[in-house]
Amino acid sequence: MQRVGAIALNTFREAVRDRVLYNLILFALVLIGTAILFGEISIGVQQLILINLGLTAITFFGLAIAIFIGIGLVYKEMDKRTLYALLAKPVRRYEFILGKFCGLALTLLVNTLLMAVGFFLALYYVKRSFEADDTSLLVAIYFIFWQLLLATALALLFSTFSSPALSAALTLSLFIIGSFAGDMRGLADVVKTPWLGLVTSAVYYAVPNFSNFNVITSVAHGHAVPGVLILHNTVYGALYTGLVLAASMLVFQNRDLK
Amino acid sequence: MIPTRRWLPTTILVGLVAGYALVHLQRAVDRYLEGYRTEVEMLYLPSGEWVKRLSLGYRGLAACLYWTRAVQHYGRENLGKRQYKLLYQLLDITTTLDPELTLAYRFGAIFLAEPQPMGPGRPHEAIALLRKGLKQNPDQWRLWYDIGFVYYRALKDYQRASDAFLEGSKNPNSMYWMQVMAAKIAAEGGNRERARFLWRKLLESTDDPTIQANAVRYLQGLQVDDEVEILEALVKRFREQTGRQARSFVELLAAGLLRALPHDPLGYPYRLTAEGQVLLHRDSAIITSTKGRVR
Repeated sequence: MQRVGAIALNTFREAVRDRVLYNLILFALVLIGTAILFGEISIGVQQLILINLGLTAITFFGLAIAIFIGIGLVYKEMDKRTLYALLAKPVRRYEFILGKFCGLALTLLVNTLLMAVGFFLALYYVKRSFEADDTSLLVAIYFIFWQLLLATALALLFSTFSSPALSAALTLSLFIIGSFAGDMRGLADVVKTPWLGLVTSAVYYAVPNFSNFNVITSVAHGHAVPGVLILHNTVYGALYTGLVLAASMLVFQNRDLK
Repeated sequence: MIPTRRWLPTTILVGLVAGYALVHLQRAVDRYLEGYRTEVEMLYLPSGEWVKRLSLGYRGLAACLYWTRAVQHYGRENLGKRQYKLLYQLLDITTTLDPELTLAYRFGAIFLAEPQPMGPGRPHEAIALLRKGLKQNPDQWRLWYDIGFVYYRALKDYQRASDAFLEGSKNPNSMYWMQVMAAKIAAEGGNRERARFLWRKLLESTDDPTIQANAVRYLQGLQVDDEVEILEALVKRFREQTGRQARSFVELLAAGLLRALPHDPLGYPYRLTAEGQVLLHRDSAIITSTKGRVR
């Protein structure tokens, strides 16, 4: 566990040194700030725009960070040949993967918190107060963080066996497919061919269901997120991320690094 | 290294010429595309369901963007061609993306129902939008208010307007004046029986003295409407019998058409004009919908 912690901390240090990261956070914060101005050219939706745009910005910029740092986690180490030096030490391959994941998760946590602070400041500027309903916004951010963890795990998995470009494409594709998951289930209900319905259902259950975690539209209207959904999504996120991480470790374990 | 004094003037000159050319080129392109820029965009995404899918689940944000586009479209058309071709589509897409965006139904209906030349003058589309809103948000009694308002103001259909206000008043969260509006508009539309029924119901259902006094005032007004109508019929009958206009109610009394001089519910005597019109006394505070007013 100590070794995992050390790798995680190094990954975090390396990630926070990346200037791209700061640019992305800055851009997200500017976008959140723009939402205030954007509300001025519409009627009555300033707060709605701020919440929708703010939370969507946190998701997409977080996703960009997760994918673009995640895909390089293993590749960079191999490319710079630092991996061989590391694996020569008493570090197991699965510890390396786990450490990399935890390091990026920590980076994402800090980034998400920074963007969330910017978002809540902008919200306070618009509302001049906070209400009890606003706690559902924290739940929405918590769900976004789960989406980012899932995306990180996927990016890490792909980076264990493919190039960074392909890893990015595959992770992004899975994010898009996972966001369409609800429609896939609807498709399974309407197709008349039984086997096609089965295939669609199978795909629906197999892909990471990112749409589970998207409650932005609902919380923007002040609806509370039910506790049972928080529990289900937490378990789903942990289970799916765990499975993808296990797959990454398995692939990396069996990979010929010579 | 080239000295600054050599490259700077050239750079400024090139920048100015290129900038001038670019601005003019952009203006030419804008003129060319102005007519169908938005329409082209709409042709790609004519359905809210499609936009919903393409928004990857971030439909709340897409709805806000489409709502802003609807507002901008209304404003632009209001200052320009006033055709509002895309207004309903934009509002329909907005409300499909976020069915809970109540203000898009409410303000959207106001935009659509605004009579020409200031607005598109499409009250039926406004009502369709509001009914869509009610289907999605049955608890939003204010949408019934808006439907009633469109029927009342734009279509002058008092019966349907009254029906809408009455329907909205059935919602336990609705304000008491929904029933008031239903009754007032029914009276204005000439449906006195319905108005009387609604005012009585309101009078019985409230403990608020102001509302009670208001209801009594309107019930008295309805009574005046009835009485003025009867009195004017009697005046007409007098004219038919005698071939001349009655000068006062005393003549009607003498002719046996009246048993006593008529008074309004507050005790003020009715007035008879030289043209045979029956009016309320000048000091009478009764408000009527159509009859007995000084015209």
